[in-house]
Amino acid sequence: MQPKSPPNPIRRQLLTSITSFLGLVGVIFAAIPFLSAFRPSARAEAAGAPVKVNISKLTQGELMTVEWRGMPVFVYKVSSEAQNVLSADKSKLADPNSDQQQQPEYAQNDTRSRKKGIAVVKGVCTHLGCAPKFYPEATSQDFDPNWQGGFFCPCHGSKFDLAGRVYANVPAPTNLEVPPHYFETDSTLVIGSDGAS
Amino acid sequence: MQTCSGESSRGMKLIVILAFAFFSGLSSSAGEYKCGSIECYEFSPDTKDKESLQRGLSAYMNFCYGCHSLKYSRYKRVAEDLSIPLDIYEQNLIFDDSKIGDLMHISLKESKAIELLGAKPPDLTLEARLRSPEWVYTYLNTFYEDASRPYGVNNKVYANVSMPHVLEDIQSELSEEEYGRYIADITNFLTYVSDPSAETRKQLGIYVILFLLIFTAFAYLVYREFKKDLK
Amino acid sequence: MTTDTRTKRFLSWIDFRFPLTEVFERHLSKYPAPTNLNIWYLFGFLLIVVLAMQIVTGLWLMMNYTNSAEEAFSSVEYIMRDVEYGWLIRYMHAAGASAFFALIYLHMFRGMMYGSYQKPRELIWLGGWFTYLILMAEGFTGYVLPWGQMSFWAAQVIISLFSSIPVVGEDLATWIRGDYLVSGITLSRLFAFHVVLLPILLIAIVFFHILALHEIGSNNPDGIDVKKHLDEDGVPLDTKPFFPYDISHDIFALGVFLIIFCSVVFFFPTGGGYIIEYVNYEPANPLSTPAHIVPSWYYTPFYAMLRAVDFPLFGLTAKFLGFATMMAAVAIFAVLPWLDRSPVKSIKYKGILSKSFLGIFVVSFFALCYLGMVPPTETKTLLSKIFTLGYFSYFLLMPIYTRIEKCKPVPERVAEV
Repeated sequence: MQPKSPPNPIRRQLLTSITSFLGLVGVIFAAIPFLSAFRPSARAEAAGAPVKVNISKLTQGELMTVEWRGMPVFVYKVSSEAQNVLSADKSKLADPNSDQQQQPEYAQNDTRSRKKGIAVVKGVCTHLGCAPKFYPEATSQDFDPNWQGGFFCPCHGSKFDLAGRVYANVPAPTNLEVPPHYFETDSTLVIGSDGAS
Repeated sequence: MQTCSGESSRGMKLIVILAFAFFSGLSSSAGEYKCGSIECYEFSPDTKDKESLQRGLSAYMNFCYGCHSLKYSRYKRVAEDLSIPLDIYEQNLIFDDSKIGDLMHISLKESKAIELLGAKPPDLTLEARLRSPEWVYTYLNTFYEDASRPYGVNNKVYANVSMPHVLEDIQSELSEEEYGRYIADITNFLTYVSDPSAETRKQLGIYVILFLLIFTAFAYLVYREFKKDLK
Repeated sequence: MTTDTRTKRFLSWIDFRFPLTEVFERHLSKYPAPTNLNIWYLFGFLLIVVLAMQIVTGLWLMMNYTNSAEEAFSSVEYIMRDVEYGWLIRYMHAAGASAFFALIYLHMFRGMMYGSYQKPRELIWLGGWFTYLILMAEGFTGYVLPWGQMSFWAAQVIISLFSSIPVVGEDLATWIRGDYLVSGITLSRLFAFHVVLLPILLIAIVFFHILALHEIGSNNPDGIDVKKHLDEDGVPLDTKPFFPYDISHDIFALGVFLIIFCSVVFFFPTGGGYIIEYVNYEPANPLSTPAHIVPSWYYTPFYAMLRAVDFPLFGLTAKFLGFATMMAAVAIFAVLPWLDRSPVKSIKYKGILSKSFLGIFVVSFFALCYLGMVPPTETKTLLSKIFTLGYFSYFLLMPIYTRIEKCKPVPERVAEV
């Protein structure tokens, strides 16, 4: 059949527009639960929760590896001589002042640590993700005759100093990431949280 | 073409009447709760009363959690839903080295439980949904002395239950009314834990229905508007 | 270039390579729908919406569900508690299954009332029948997945029905189970059916069903053949284009449906035990049978028939006969086009006999639905037998009563109704 033409086209247009708009709003709201369901579940949150570590027995030169969110986190002591070296000799580094956001604010210093003397960095090379090896002694190495201590990544030869800062002219582009952490007590380190203010 | 006497379709009316009768009759079939040998006590769970839930949680942790796990529930969720600060919860309501995000497992081994009690104490996360809050309330209220049983007690709802009357001391200390409220708190808590999203669901539901009413009203106006063309 | 010309040029680029506009107009926007369609013609659209919803919610559930006997039950609780909005997605899927069946029964009933199965629409009806069959399997396999007590025991009961088939029964049941008992192996294969096989079949048959419909055109409540009177473009006079007339009706209906559906999801998600049986909140236990094993409400009419046949005959066991009756009750829908000998399509123009038998069918269906839900007693079993006869009488006597009754003359045009 031939439908008649509308007696009030404006009313028709208005009603249709409002209904379509409401429909669109409805669809967007309906999408929210499905998009939210993708977020980490309570199980993932629990598994990724902050980890408490006892550092009372940590010795100089020892590398403690702690798992957090499935990744290795390196915890080690940095002696005062080494700290001086970190502040003094920054010539070989790509990002000596940690300008790139690879660490929380409290770790933006020469030792990239919250508490002087203890370093906490993710053991994940910022090139392609291998675990760098710990060479804490300031002795000559095959990969660097003037080695002052730090990390060497065996996969593609990236080098980092004892604060996890990356050397210039190596495959890795940025400093090792410092995870959020705080010291609950002198012997308890919590990795994965900045701690309550 | 055959002809016959005209009759309006009564079929439609018949269906509506039938459907109505059918649906009203349905209440007597599924979901019928009886409490063992007795009718269930009347009980309306209130999962909005956070203080009751907190008391119930506390009672549960003290008297029930030794044997009955809540293995689908997480401490953190309970703390947040009951408005208990996480650190206070951790200090006072977690008795082992579980973390706040963990599931509420217990340390009692099944073999040990069977050795001690003769049966495995079931996990209670879903008990209030499986049996009904009324059942849980009535069950906790109807332990009675029975010398023939290993622990000297029996239960009117669950005949020859292996569970001892854990709340016996509490019951003797409190008046009947107070004990009733104590049990009510535990039942409220178990009702909450069996369906923790219930309150969120209902609140969200109100907004959803409101939106749909508005949308449908406009959709109706559009339908009627276009229908004018066809007159 | 204006947006309009750009759109036109884009469309012609596509149309040259793919019949986009042609298909869109032929099957959607300009599809000619009779002008006398009523409320009963809204369920097809709603069924498509529910199908889409089940696929989306099902997909999301699948992301977090584990299909092993050990983990299934706890994975469902994981979804309900730990996954954000998991509870909502689960409730939507469970309520969606019940909605699917409620809508499909109403949709089928429309066909029965208005003779939409009659020539030349037999294939549409058969496609729909096949969809119903697949849907029953889909509902059954879906209910097993949470691996609660009802999940397990329903699977146990239904699969053991196959063992009643003479000679091959036991082996067949074992073959279906993949094991000597209903186990995690059975669960895994039912999962594969539920998630891949049946949905693909469902979508394919629905596609076929709609294509067959569009080939002939829709029936209408008066059974008038609208194609007898065409306009100068060959479009039937007593029709209107789907857009915007039927689409606006459908959208309104969608709103009403969603209000009902969301009321259930948000305020009665377990349906008082009819959507999620309370017994299913206990993990499956092969050693302990629940007091009442009841299938979901949409199967109970057939379950009542199964239990009604409690006598052996001709050397065949009661169990097998009950099973066969149940299958026959579903299968008989398929031959409806060939049982109906009436010269008119719609119940509005058929005689008193057709109306009475359809009434008997409806009463029997509702009664059997109720009887299938409750524990059997002598009286109830007797009633089940009576109503089973009532149910079958609608079909089996149809070739007779549709021929002998007197009918009203069907108008030529909708305006004459």
